[in-house]
Amino acid sequence: MAQSLLKSVFAGGYSKLFTSPANRRITSPTPHQFQLQLRINAFSTSSNRSSSSRDFLSLSDELLMDQCEMNTFKASGPGGQHRNKRETAVRLKHSPTGIIAQAVEDRSQHKNRASALARLRTLLALKVRDAIDLDGYTPPLELLQILPAKSTIRGSDVGSQIGPNNPKFALGMKALLDLIYAVNGSVSEAAKLLGLSTGALSRLILSDDSLRMEVNELRALKGMKPLK
Amino acid sequence: MTLCFTRTIHSLPFKHPRFSLSNPSKRPISNFLPHSSSKSPPLLRPISPKPHLPLFLRPPASSATFSDLQKFHSWAKGLAFSVGSKFLDSDNGPDTDLLCREIKWLLEDAVDDTSMLPHLGSSQNPNLTGSKLIRLKVDLDDLYSLWNQRIEERRPFQYIVGCEHWRDFVLCVEEGVLIPRPETEMIVDMVEEVVSKEKGLGKGLWADLGTGSGAIGIGIGRILEEGGRVIATDVSEVAVSVATFNVQRYGLQDKVEIRQGSWFEPIEDVMGKLAGLVSNPPYIPRDQIPRLQAEVGKHEPRLALDGGENGMDELLHLCEGSSFALGSGGFFAFETNGDEQSELVADIMTSKSENSFRDVKIKTDMAGIHRFVTGFRR
Repeated sequence: MAQSLLKSVFAGGYSKLFTSPANRRITSPTPHQFQLQLRINAFSTSSNRSSSSRDFLSLSDELLMDQCEMNTFKASGPGGQHRNKRETAVRLKHSPTGIIAQAVEDRSQHKNRASALARLRTLLALKVRDAIDLDGYTPPLELLQILPAKSTIRGSDVGSQIGPNNPKFALGMKALLDLIYAVNGSVSEAAKLLGLSTGALSRLILSDDSLRMEVNELRALKGMKPLK
Repeated sequence: MTLCFTRTIHSLPFKHPRFSLSNPSKRPISNFLPHSSSKSPPLLRPISPKPHLPLFLRPPASSATFSDLQKFHSWAKGLAFSVGSKFLDSDNGPDTDLLCREIKWLLEDAVDDTSMLPHLGSSQNPNLTGSKLIRLKVDLDDLYSLWNQRIEERRPFQYIVGCEHWRDFVLCVEEGVLIPRPETEMIVDMVEEVVSKEKGLGKGLWADLGTGSGAIGIGIGRILEEGGRVIATDVSEVAVSVATFNVQRYGLQDKVEIRQGSWFEPIEDVMGKLAGLVSNPPYIPRDQIPRLQAEVGKHEPRLALDGGENGMDELLHLCEGSSFALGSGGFFAFETNGDEQSELVADIMTSKSENSFRDVKIKTDMAGIHRFVTGFRR
């Protein structure tokens, strides 16, 4: 049964993300919108597992690309040898979630495709939430990997801390956001579960702009002060 | 003023068009099979075949102050803004937005330390005083001339910087060599797919006919397995020297061999043995050449664009030759002008010499145009 229910935030509103950071915020979100349950027809070909955003993020570039509709921006005229134009912009629409990622800055379409795919991974991490059970919660490895070494639950076998510039950060960020949503935006509660001080977790959240904005969006909805 | 400027810049080391653009008579000679055409076959031997070093590969032997570079930047943007949608409206050429992006790319290639580029547009930077020297790979005067050529002559951006970003390669290009197009990147994707599915093809011998800068040949050379090789050919001496340079820059000499000659002529020794045959031949119908975007029609080699009366001359020749060139199970992929041409090519390949080919398919490019025809030799 390749179908699952995903909690998706702001479904359909992703195009807003690309205009400017100021437009990121949804002006009057309602709890209903926020908790929108999105029925997703997961890719039925690959497996019988139900898909979560963790599954999307652990896909290879190739398989993730298979789930996407790719458009290059409207090219007028006959193209090919007729044209000299660097219309190399790439737009990826991730069919299962409707998330759109695009890239235009490079001269090569090939590289823009890679950037768009990397951006899609970040958006999937930020925007697709999986419910977690707080009873007996143990953080997954990818979350432990982005925690600072002083975390009391982080064993020495986890390796050195993965920072925001590492592609693996997205997966850890996703697990952290799942946890923060589960505790309704409370950084102190999340910090306890991660063996960190509230300050240390705040600093981790503030170290990445998109992570900070996502957490602050949630906190605003819950009537909490933003992290600064 | 323009004329005077044009004279000056033609004497710069940057621009040496070896083919007179007004002399499009150099046509590929088709030696493999008789095919009727009114092509004249004069063998123009161009001068030195040594390719020009693209801007980004040059040593940073010049310099300019930060404030002088800022002046260039705002002058260049001023020119770009003066264009507006003029080129776009006249021949679907670049508009201000695209030209501004090109200025950024030009500076990326011309400046040694690109970290200062984001600060060019702003007036105050604590760490950058106006007198700070910025190392450049080209004289500031030449940078002015180059951007002027871009706007006044519509010289293609890729010839200005001497390279084109294509797939994950940066390929050297210059006048006399077709600038590889983004659409053509898909041929390599198709080959990659076929090589992963059909056992043995990746270890075989491939040919890229009319390789130009070497783009497709290099792209395929990178994905073939141990033992797989590509012969990439071109009739143009400039193309051969540029393609050779590009192959060497990526260290693919053992994988990609460049040969000079027209279509099947330089691969006569391997006819019937090929695992794959790919080509992006000239396919523009001749009567459309005068109306092409100026960057293309006035600057790119007509040899690489003009496909004869209906644009099919070279494609027909490739169709003819491919049943002799490919071994059993061999794959072919040709780029075409789109809808009518691809249907015609697919028809020919399907009905050809008692079903020589199987699984003949038309594939679309990113803009939805039926751009490619692919299939297999039985």
